[in-house]
Amino acid sequence: MTTTRDIVADQRDQYAFHDEIVYLKESGRGLSRETVEEISRFKDEPDWMREFRLRAYDHFVQRPIPAWTEGLDRIDFDRIVYYRKPSEREEKSWDDVPEQIKATFERLGIPEAERKFLAGVGAQYDSEVVYHSVREELAKIGVVFMGTDQGLKEHPEIFRQYFGTIVPPEDNKFAALNSAVWSGGSFVYVPKGVEVPLPLQAYFRINGENTGQFERTLIVVDEGAKVHYIEGCTAPIYATDSLHAAVVEVVALPGSKVRYTTIQNWSNDVYNLVTKRAHAYEDSVVEWVDANTGSRRTYKYPSIYLRGERARAEIISVAVGGKGQHQDTGAKAIHLAPNTTSRIVSKSVSKDGGRTSYRGQIRVAPGSTGVTASVRCDALMLDDISRSDTYPYIDIQEDDTTMTHEATVGKISADQVFYLMSRGLTENEAQNLIIQGFLEVFTKELPMEYAIEFNRLVKMEMEGSLG
Amino acid sequence: MTTASPRAGRARTRRGPADLPFSFADRGLAEALAAEREEPDWLRADRVAAIERSEALALETNPLYTGYLDLRAADLSTARPYVRTASAGSSGEAGVGTSDRLPDGLSALIELREDTIPTLAIAPEAAAAGVVVESFGAALRRDPDGLRAAIEGGAGLPDDKLAQLVRGVWSQGVRVVVPDGVRLERPIVVRWAAGEPGRALVTRTSVRLGREAAAAVVEEIIPSGPGGIAPDAPQSLVAGTFEAAVGPGAALEVASIQELGPTAIVLQQRAAGIGDGGSLRWALAQLGGRIVRARNDNRLEGDRSSVEQVEIVFGAGEQLVDLTTYTRHLGRDTTGNVLSKGALRDRARMYLKGMAIIDRSAIGTDSFLGEYGMNLSKGARSVAIPSLEIDQPDCRRAAHSSSVGPIDETQVFYLESRGIPDDEARKFIVLGYLEPVVARVPWAPAEERLRALLSARWDEGRPAAEAA
Repeated sequence: MTTTRDIVADQRDQYAFHDEIVYLKESGRGLSRETVEEISRFKDEPDWMREFRLRAYDHFVQRPIPAWTEGLDRIDFDRIVYYRKPSEREEKSWDDVPEQIKATFERLGIPEAERKFLAGVGAQYDSEVVYHSVREELAKIGVVFMGTDQGLKEHPEIFRQYFGTIVPPEDNKFAALNSAVWSGGSFVYVPKGVEVPLPLQAYFRINGENTGQFERTLIVVDEGAKVHYIEGCTAPIYATDSLHAAVVEVVALPGSKVRYTTIQNWSNDVYNLVTKRAHAYEDSVVEWVDANTGSRRTYKYPSIYLRGERARAEIISVAVGGKGQHQDTGAKAIHLAPNTTSRIVSKSVSKDGGRTSYRGQIRVAPGSTGVTASVRCDALMLDDISRSDTYPYIDIQEDDTTMTHEATVGKISADQVFYLMSRGLTENEAQNLIIQGFLEVFTKELPMEYAIEFNRLVKMEMEGSLG
Repeated sequence: MTTASPRAGRARTRRGPADLPFSFADRGLAEALAAEREEPDWLRADRVAAIERSEALALETNPLYTGYLDLRAADLSTARPYVRTASAGSSGEAGVGTSDRLPDGLSALIELREDTIPTLAIAPEAAAAGVVVESFGAALRRDPDGLRAAIEGGAGLPDDKLAQLVRGVWSQGVRVVVPDGVRLERPIVVRWAAGEPGRALVTRTSVRLGREAAAAVVEEIIPSGPGGIAPDAPQSLVAGTFEAAVGPGAALEVASIQELGPTAIVLQQRAAGIGDGGSLRWALAQLGGRIVRARNDNRLEGDRSSVEQVEIVFGAGEQLVDLTTYTRHLGRDTTGNVLSKGALRDRARMYLKGMAIIDRSAIGTDSFLGEYGMNLSKGARSVAIPSLEIDQPDCRRAAHSSSVGPIDETQVFYLESRGIPDDEARKFIVLGYLEPVVARVPWAPAEERLRALLSARWDEGRPAAEAA
């Protein structure tokens, strides 16, 4: 590769910091039944939640590491701190947030974002929600947006009805782990017919070497309601392995619309295993917009179970895999009701020996007549030491399904680079522009400042390999 | 899903989907076969090594596919393998291969019926050119070193439980050799008549084309019994390999039509290595059998080598057709084009698993994988898993596509507007959908026969009222 002018300033420092926090409560390393009970006791939870956690713990211990992929056996579960709480109570206003934590968020730009147009901020600092605000008008129309722990206490009836029903602990080993030790995350409830006018935003961070982050998010959108939830992730860079095992449950009741947007930039030592699943009832629309950059390994397949007639699913998934990274991502649409539709678009970029894998599933159960489903996967490989895989599963058990799947893998076209360079761009600029164009199907779905941030993250990922 | 068929009066142990439905394929059988045939030590050792390897492997070693296999409907616990060897000779020997038994338009014909070889005939000009069509038994007598070079170590066979099992306990083998520079105008037909209730036939086929050679092989797998087999007859096993070595600049066409009876369990392994500038075209049709599990391995080893594979399934009843294709690109500027299509009636199931692998060495690859399903009944199920694993981005094309859909109503409408009745229109559309394989069968009588079989398969499924 030729040397060209570097157009991307190194912005890693901005995202790679580690504050000295005095942890008020910390579970110690390793996981045992006692740790699980202790977490529940710390949090002063009802009996049913403690039992839920223990049931999950038992399952976690019994369940083998999944055999369908490699690398997971490298996670050392005994080295991980399963619970730590940086501040004693949930903060209601920005002024009450401890200075040091506030400084961290300022570097991430949260207050500005909030001032601009975000409706609410639930910022997760390590394992607990420390800062949280809901705009007055949202509270007035009955929208609940709070930490998941707080949701359990304040809205026990909605919480218990749905918690753990979309992703039961027995679903997979890492859902079981999360169910046993979950802490933090967001709880959202949007009442019947309410349209939340602005996106709800939660900013997640991992801080602390070897801290496991096990947030649990539950979003319940009642009939005819509408909401857009955004999460973004940055994390400090550390040498030893960190683990992020989250569970996100979304319930889209009849006629509702939910969009869940994620921009992830875990540091390159994080194992990121997330179970994201939504149940979509009659005439509802669920959209996952999901970007994965960073992390050492990501295993994430946002899924939508189309349970009600005419429900619609859209999943846009983007992954960028660089040196030492494996982005194993994809999407699932499970059609369980007639006349449901799904669309999956996946884009991935691999470089510097990184690997991206698309793993997805389309399933049409017997009785789900009139289903339409489509999948489109495109992968770009920037060099020949990288790797790209596509593993789609298509299982159709009806006679009138219309399903299409297409996938292509290739490199950046030399013609396109040449054309742009003939217009005065450097090779690096040309390649960045082509990559941004390739990923535009995703970025165009983002609110503006997220799109800017995402393009910046992609450029950061690209620097060093280009030019 | 049922776990065991409620066959009265017979206690069956519960088997998992990936458990073999028979237990006869062991070292003892491998040794017995070697002894019966007075085989040389290398072959006996090869059988034993293979059966040990087979025993060590799981039925499905690719974790991508472990959820999609199911041999539970097979019950071969009492099936008996053939041990006695067939005594047919080589096309080069006196007494066999009389050309008057050779149908017009063929270079050679070998017919194998269970453990016998009723016909072996080769055209004089082919024989004169050095073309060999013979049984493994004859090859062992005539050209032991040549056979050894072709089959020892299972050279082209994948490290797969069933492939190694066949290598260990085959009882019959067919060898085809087309020497360097020999280009056969007319096809070679290899006809297997198999599926006798309660029996297990395990076979190998080895086809080698020398440099710049060209040939077409039509493999017909037909029922051995007269008329239909009662649905409650004991099941039979028909297991075999097809091992192809395509030399530099050579061109091989293979058509295989499998139309066994409804109680046959069919296990097929096809493996091909293709040299520089060589080409291989597969046209494969799966019609019969209760369970079919077939795996194709295409290795594009030579630069500019190419493989084109089209495969069709027309499933009905309770059939399960489970097809896997691996296409591995190793040389530069290779081309792989794999197309699988299935139409399913009744409660038939089809698993299409395809994998295109582009190695780092495979610069300039063009690889396409297409898997298409058409469910004609509510109870049918089609699964497609078209996968890509790519280590070299400098390719002409690396893509796959898949679709599942019903019969296109606009096409039905168009045909009806031309005066074609509804059922006839639908039949045309389905047969047209499967035509790409039919049209590639390189022998007119086999092509016509396949067309008739597909047509009959459609007619069987018509509702009685309409059929009347």
